[in-house]
Amino acid sequence: MSNLENLYQAILGGKREEAVDATRLALAEGHSPQYIINNGMVQAMHEIGGQFECGRAFLPHLLMSARAMKGALDLLNPLMVGENRRVSAGRVVIGTVKGDLHDIGKNLVASMLEGAGFEVFNLGVDVPNDVFVSAVRDHDADIVCMSALLTTTMGNMKEVVTALTAAGLRNRVKIMVGGAPLSEGFAASIGADGYSANANQAVMLAKNLLGLTK
Amino acid sequence: MTSQERVLTAIAHGTPDRVPVDMGSTPSSGISAIAYSNLLQYIGRTDLPILIYDVVQQLAQPDDAIISRFGIDVIDIGRAFNASLSDWYPIRLQNGATGYYPVWFHPQLREDGAWCTYDDDGKRLLSMMPEGATFFDQTYFPYQISYPEDYCDLDAQMNRVMWSRDVHSPWDHASDPDFYAQLRQKTMHLRKTTDKALMLVCGCNLFEWGTFLRRIDNFLMDLICEPAQVDRLLDALLERHLATLEKVCAAVGDIVDIIRFGDDLGMTTGPFMSPEMYRQFFKPRHRQLCEYVHKHSRMHTFIHSCGSIYQLIPDLIDAGIEIFNPVQTNCAEMDYRRLKREFGDSCTFWGGGVENVGVLNSGSPAEVHDQVIERLEVLSEGGGYIFNTIHNIMPDVPPQNIIAMFDAVREFSERNRAKSAG
Repeated sequence: MSNLENLYQAILGGKREEAVDATRLALAEGHSPQYIINNGMVQAMHEIGGQFECGRAFLPHLLMSARAMKGALDLLNPLMVGENRRVSAGRVVIGTVKGDLHDIGKNLVASMLEGAGFEVFNLGVDVPNDVFVSAVRDHDADIVCMSALLTTTMGNMKEVVTALTAAGLRNRVKIMVGGAPLSEGFAASIGADGYSANANQAVMLAKNLLGLTK
Repeated sequence: MTSQERVLTAIAHGTPDRVPVDMGSTPSSGISAIAYSNLLQYIGRTDLPILIYDVVQQLAQPDDAIISRFGIDVIDIGRAFNASLSDWYPIRLQNGATGYYPVWFHPQLREDGAWCTYDDDGKRLLSMMPEGATFFDQTYFPYQISYPEDYCDLDAQMNRVMWSRDVHSPWDHASDPDFYAQLRQKTMHLRKTTDKALMLVCGCNLFEWGTFLRRIDNFLMDLICEPAQVDRLLDALLERHLATLEKVCAAVGDIVDIIRFGDDLGMTTGPFMSPEMYRQFFKPRHRQLCEYVHKHSRMHTFIHSCGSIYQLIPDLIDAGIEIFNPVQTNCAEMDYRRLKREFGDSCTFWGGGVENVGVLNSGSPAEVHDQVIERLEVLSEGGGYIFNTIHNIMPDVPPQNIIAMFDAVREFSERNRAKSAG
């Protein structure tokens, strides 16, 4: 089995150490970091995402795969500088809104997006509205993802949308929202571009919004 | 019928004289201090104290006057503790009203507006309610880095978790030397002075304690990559829970009607784990808890389990769970008609009466009314149903909607009574 196939299997099976080893060997074989991402990592995350979506894999499997993928990515990221700078699917700013400390789902979305080839800037939790705005500007983001777990904090998402509009950034960035109390209808009502119910759907939505789907 | 008879009849799948109602008998079927304060203001009862008995979730203990006004049929025996106003001290709620914390709870206000609780040494941040938030979140996870060599200090570590450290009554008195004697005496007193069904909230959480101690992402992965460690932790927890149940059953097992366990097993889109994983790790232990209760008391077993748990319900019933809450109908596979059709004969549903998100918090009173009636027609058929919202009534729920909800339950019951009389 080639090292890329080993990497694919290791990520799919959620085995971090094996994924890191396979990545190291793939580099030694002369594959570029970008090639390894595109031909091992992204495909494995796509597969586990699909299995999760149809109920064959559950959240523990998805988290294991994301962790294995992160292990491999941590090895590759420092190598992607200068000429080898990463060609990403898009730049994403992500955070949990003000007043809300919940981040497990949000972090999984961040990992899944990274695993799908996006460059992700994770702002953490309890993120003030203006920090979302400045991060979108500073990172020249294509997408901003907001998470909220509470009915009492989800209202802050609308304020971020308003703040992005006021800053003249609304037309440059797609807005995605997620979290337990949210819905498609809520996303539309605050002027967001989309809602996803889980981390895998977030990846599909991000690709759709940027016109990356085949 | 007395309230107790009404609740027990429903659990036995008989037909009670009206639909039994809960608000506030558990910390997952209650009302937030702010929603409660708004309700009191609206009905002109600001003379009633707002006792924040669950400080973590900032829940109010409904006053006797409210219980009576809305025809609530079941109460938490924890309310028999901290029964004097000197057990509380005043604080200011976010809406400006005065609420009361138990005297033992003293969170500190940080410069950024967050309320924080710390370990005994004052250094480690244990939980936090950021500015604008309406309850506390856990910030410290004792076994986040690794599992311990042994579980000699399990109690001490659990006590660094807000759910244990800042626990609601009666458990805030658990370290009193005569706690179980007090529990019996106070529960007896309640039994003699009220006709309500009596609830004892007694977590016995297994999956959730794993997530509180290890943090949820780690613990979920452990189910796959550290099964032996998971078993070891769950065994230690089970031993502790069974020891508690032994004392609980001896003290109040002949008086209390319902014992409430908790373990959130679902998320919006499906269960956290596969049914196979549930069967491997949790079902045998849930069975032991239920068997102990059924063998040593007359209490009915109730589980609070959020999210989409449709796939796990048959196993939970088989493990001995009789009552399900909160019946989170906005989640995948949780349509209330299907739940009632498939499981209605084999368990009791306690909740699911109205959508908290989208209807109770933001719909009109007429929409609330219509949804309550529509659901009661299905859920209360043949008994096996206690009316309750889906989880706690949050601060954004207007009082008009709470009143419309209770009015609808009453209207439904009266209409049914007239129908059967006619």
